[in-house]
Amino acid sequence: MSATRPAARPPDATAASLERVEDTFVGRFVAMAGPCEVLVDTDDRASAAALLRVAEREARRIEHKFSRYRPDNLVHRIHHSGGRPVRVDEETALLLDYAATCHEVSDGMFDITSGALRRIWKFDGGERVPSQAQVQEALRHVGWHRVTWKDSTLTLPAGMEIDLGGVGKEYAVDHTAVLLAGQTRDAFLVNFGGDLFASGARRGARPWGVGIDDPERTGQAVLYHIEFARGGLATSGNARRFIRHEGKWLGHILDPKTGWPVEDAPRSVTVLDRTCLEAGSLSTMACLQGPRAREFLEQQGVEFRIV
Amino acid sequence: MQLTPAGRSSSLRARLGAAACLLLAAGMPAIAQAESGATTQIDATALLYGERSRTNVAEPTARITRRFADGQSLSAQFGFDVITGASPSGAAPSGTIHTTTSASGTVTTSPAGQVPLNSFKDSRYAADLEWQKPFLRSFLSTIGGHVSREKDYQSLGANGKLSVDLLQRRTTLTAGGGVNRDRVFPVGGIPVGLSDGSLPAMSSALPKDVSTLMVGLSQVVTRRWLVGLNATRTFERGYLSEPYKVLSVLDGTTGLPAGQRTEKRPSTRERRSLLASSVYHLTDDVLSLSYRHYRDDWQVRSQTFDARYRRELGSERYLEPHLRYYSQSAASFYRSSLVDGAPLPEFATADYRLGALSSVTFGATCGFRLPGRPGEWTVRAEYIRQFGEGHPDTAVGIQRQFDLFPSVDIGSLLIGYSIEF
Repeated sequence: MSATRPAARPPDATAASLERVEDTFVGRFVAMAGPCEVLVDTDDRASAAALLRVAEREARRIEHKFSRYRPDNLVHRIHHSGGRPVRVDEETALLLDYAATCHEVSDGMFDITSGALRRIWKFDGGERVPSQAQVQEALRHVGWHRVTWKDSTLTLPAGMEIDLGGVGKEYAVDHTAVLLAGQTRDAFLVNFGGDLFASGARRGARPWGVGIDDPERTGQAVLYHIEFARGGLATSGNARRFIRHEGKWLGHILDPKTGWPVEDAPRSVTVLDRTCLEAGSLSTMACLQGPRAREFLEQQGVEFRIV
Repeated sequence: MQLTPAGRSSSLRARLGAAACLLLAAGMPAIAQAESGATTQIDATALLYGERSRTNVAEPTARITRRFADGQSLSAQFGFDVITGASPSGAAPSGTIHTTTSASGTVTTSPAGQVPLNSFKDSRYAADLEWQKPFLRSFLSTIGGHVSREKDYQSLGANGKLSVDLLQRRTTLTAGGGVNRDRVFPVGGIPVGLSDGSLPAMSSALPKDVSTLMVGLSQVVTRRWLVGLNATRTFERGYLSEPYKVLSVLDGTTGLPAGQRTEKRPSTRERRSLLASSVYHLTDDVLSLSYRHYRDDWQVRSQTFDARYRRELGSERYLEPHLRYYSQSAASFYRSSLVDGAPLPEFATADYRLGALSSVTFGATCGFRLPGRPGEWTVRAEYIRQFGEGHPDTAVGIQRQFDLFPSVDIGSLLIGYSIEF
């Protein structure tokens, strides 16, 4: 083919790719607003490609189902219910049950209904903070306790929002891992935008190695390196999203009770736990603890890194 | 032993772990089903409606709705109703035992002082289809069609509407319209208007066309309060009279019947209505209020006040009492009867539904689930009392002694069942 001939069609940014890196196949695609990877410890390219297809399809299914930005899913129907009860399917019900448990065990700090606050806070590095009146108004539309959730039926008061994006992504990692485990005996690692799960030790009893980025220099410097064979790992933090107020930098982690950013929250909290869901929830709850994040995680008895 | 913070927190982790386990393990069979992401809902209802000594209606319907993973939905409804009973013919009480004859082949005999009724029996089949499709994040389009047929009437219609969400989905604007191409083919043909029955039918069937335009706005005021405003304009053209209704021609002094004439209405009608509604959520309960103002170029004006209060009785039941008041003025050409020898008006009807009337509705809806059984049941019972002008100033002679608009008691019962899978 002539080198000067233009490409028949533009390169497709969303197409999955599969390449061999040393003794591991690395599959990549973009979903859930970020890069996703599936690492398979195998020499069989066809098997790795099949697992990549399963992972990509599952990531897109869950993204489609729980995205707040689609007009054609259940979340949209809930947001447009005008305060009327909406019956949800079993998978959504279990995810809402999980979110309700998080809300309960965190004394109301972990809250998937904080959407109204996100609309008034703009973490663009500027100095504009919303007025107290705006915060008070937004807080009237925040709080899982205002939601009626029972018998697979959700009643969301009009004007409120639910965000299943965070929990949904961690669930997607774990659930993809469940699907892949049903198809292969090779060790694999699922990484959706930094939330990940590893299925077990690689050949030769070697662990997987995961680097934790320096939040100041994302993608350029690794601060910590964690090695583990099996489990979920997730990172929460304030990386790169701040607002300047009275000489302080406030990160984008919002307290659903005060309506303000949590002060002195860690820039980055990484937790390693049994599943990605648990790791993600604990790292988020730790950030919401502000300066007490380390103490909180020590009490939980999990492995963690705080930056 | 005192509970240490660590003890409480490890229970936090245990509870989180249990919830994650439930989500990842118990979700498995559901996920296989959720792959397609599509659900089906079936709603079935049976309506029984009865006016004391008049019309009775039995109407079973079934609706099936399929919702697809991409947000589209397709819905079809089939209905069948049987109407039996009697309806006022329009004729005035005769003062003597009175019999009627009808093109549809029915004969009724009325006692002396009562409004004569035409008895009838009819059945109607109806089906409709609706397709909804969301697009471009904020838009929702709906198109639909319907067809219905009974012994002497056929209706074909199509409609469409488009909604858009604005201002962070707090405001929804809707615009739509519809057209109906109906056909009236009474038993015995279409009578000449205001004729005394001596003229042959002018046609066996005539069309009736209806166009509707609608715009609506719904607004989330606070997280508990939703308000809406809807304006509708309807244009009707064609045969708008009731082929079986008549007016009595009375002797101007005695009020005794001297004959009767068919009714005649204009061949166009333009209707406008405005509906304002409010839905307010209390802690668990919901209060819904609405007001509808209606007017048309036949000079009918009406107002409807409607109030409902939905009371939650635990998670499995609710009770919703319902109160409605309706009042309308008479059409400009409504009259209870014609006077013998007086010049005929251009249009005239004695159909009580175009006279001044009002009604009050008391009702309640109860919704519940049976323990351990799928689906939701609904039972709605309503009592309606309809009032009119029983002794109008225009009544002549003996007619002044009769109640020309007897109050009507109406009861209705609806049983519904809905299941989604």
